[in-house]
Amino acid sequence: MVGESIMVEKIVKRFRDVTAVDGVSFSVREGEVYGLLGPNGAGKTTTIHILTTLLRPTSGTAYVAGYDVVKESDKVRKEIGIVFQDPSLDDQLTAYDNMYIHGKLYGLKGDVLRSKILEMLDFVDLKDFKYKQVKYFSGGMRRRLEIARSLLHEPHVLFLDEPTIGLDPQTRLKLWEYVRRIKKERNITVFLTTHYMDEAEELCDRISIMDKGKIVAEGSADELKSLVGSEVIYLKFKNEFNKVSGCLEADFIIKCNRVKDNLMEIVVKDATTALPQLFEIINRLNIEVTEVSYKRPTLNEVFISLTGRELRDSLEYETLPQFIRRW
Amino acid sequence: MDGFVTMIYRQIKRFINSRSRFVMSIVNPIIWIIFFGLGWSNVFRFPEAKVIFGGLDYLTYLASGMVAMSIIMSSFMSGMSVIWDKRFGFLKETLVAPASRAEVILGRAFGDSIISVFQGLIILIFMYFITSKINLLGVLPALTYGLILAMCFTSFGLVIALKLSSMEGFQMIINLMTMPLLFLGGIFYPIDSLPEWIKVIAYINPVTYAVDGMRYSLTRVSKFEPIVDVFILSSLAAIMSVLAVRSYNSTTIED
Repeated sequence: MVGESIMVEKIVKRFRDVTAVDGVSFSVREGEVYGLLGPNGAGKTTTIHILTTLLRPTSGTAYVAGYDVVKESDKVRKEIGIVFQDPSLDDQLTAYDNMYIHGKLYGLKGDVLRSKILEMLDFVDLKDFKYKQVKYFSGGMRRRLEIARSLLHEPHVLFLDEPTIGLDPQTRLKLWEYVRRIKKERNITVFLTTHYMDEAEELCDRISIMDKGKIVAEGSADELKSLVGSEVIYLKFKNEFNKVSGCLEADFIIKCNRVKDNLMEIVVKDATTALPQLFEIINRLNIEVTEVSYKRPTLNEVFISLTGRELRDSLEYETLPQFIRRW
Repeated sequence: MDGFVTMIYRQIKRFINSRSRFVMSIVNPIIWIIFFGLGWSNVFRFPEAKVIFGGLDYLTYLASGMVAMSIIMSSFMSGMSVIWDKRFGFLKETLVAPASRAEVILGRAFGDSIISVFQGLIILIFMYFITSKINLLGVLPALTYGLILAMCFTSFGLVIALKLSSMEGFQMIINLMTMPLLFLGGIFYPIDSLPEWIKVIAYINPVTYAVDGMRYSLTRVSKFEPIVDVFILSSLAAIMSVLAVRSYNSTTIED
């Protein structure tokens, strides 16, 4: 298998009257952390369910770890680990038993299984709670246990569906830490969905922004932000500053504007490379600067410019029912 | 075999961890025995009554039926646990596992059947002490009938539960089914005493054959040949199991 862990081509998933996924294509490289960012109801979970063989696409093809998710679903299942959006633990069993049953269902046995369970419980710092029933676990502990469980059979691709939803900030940070370690220590391809921009930005090498069943943009966080364009640098001078009556000029400066007497706003393409050059000019002109700050566009602004809506406003956006009821 | 054994382990472990379920499924038949059985056994004191019940006193006649009843009741709980697993997500965990789905669902049915038979055994012990006319050599064959019966109804419950998502819906269907199954299965009275047109239902009811087989093993009274009981009961259980495997194979999370 070369290069691509996941390949998705024009998948469509229609439920009775809703089109949840509408012709999505993307590919994920091996060892990459790839994020699907979008509001609730965008079709992220449906996409994950298709990739994990739980749903059949209405049309289109998808390959995970080199296998077709429809025709070779058995092989795909062996290669993937999943943490679902909703908990999927058996809370009447102990943490150890949850791990044990999972390992058995994935064909692990005996001492290998036992030592692997302890290793993974240790990885998520749950070793001390191994004989405790899951019903006594907090939300964060459950999530950690699910991560440990999904890694037990050493999958090639790990799917995380909204891994930090409903968790407190400290627990989120801890989970991020695990994801980084999974990538670094185990070289597992991670595919995650989220509606938190900071999460996508922190964790993902590449991000797709999904809205209403379609991918509206793809790229690294920086690339996406450059879609909305420029970054702004603010320079604050000492009050008595008068030497430059107008503005600074250079070829990397797109626009310059004196907001106040002592405050200058400089629009540039990329603040990180512009700042050193700017300091050079400032030094040359011998201007005394007291404060420098710069603002980069956030993914939220990217989302607004792409969809015309705010990411967090779209929470009311209709979601798919969890179970389509027949009774 | 991994999927099969694993699911048996899981169902039994889960049962051990939830004692309230155990207590409830024992208490129900015992309440029946006390209020229904003891009451009617006094009514059937007159000498001709024994003829109706194949020469047995009523409580002894009822013993086999009560064991079967407790097995049926707890077998249906298996379906209930699938709906719980749907709600609490564990079903997804088993659906996405590479283990064979046939093994997983049969393991689940068999694990729950073992639990049901264990509960049946407790009722049987209870009955032994209040009737003391039970043939102890027949206990093992009786429990075997019980196991096949349990496979029948755990599978049946699974087929229904896999199609449903609400507890209420499942409970409703089961309630609707339990009464005819119990009353037209020779648990409380011989099916011979039923009107002809109802007998038809009794003849396709797996409970009839399980109870008849158990009654033969435990009290040497029966309507059919034991071999007929075994054959028909096993066939029905096999059909149910195949249906369960088929509906689990086609299960996606859309259901």
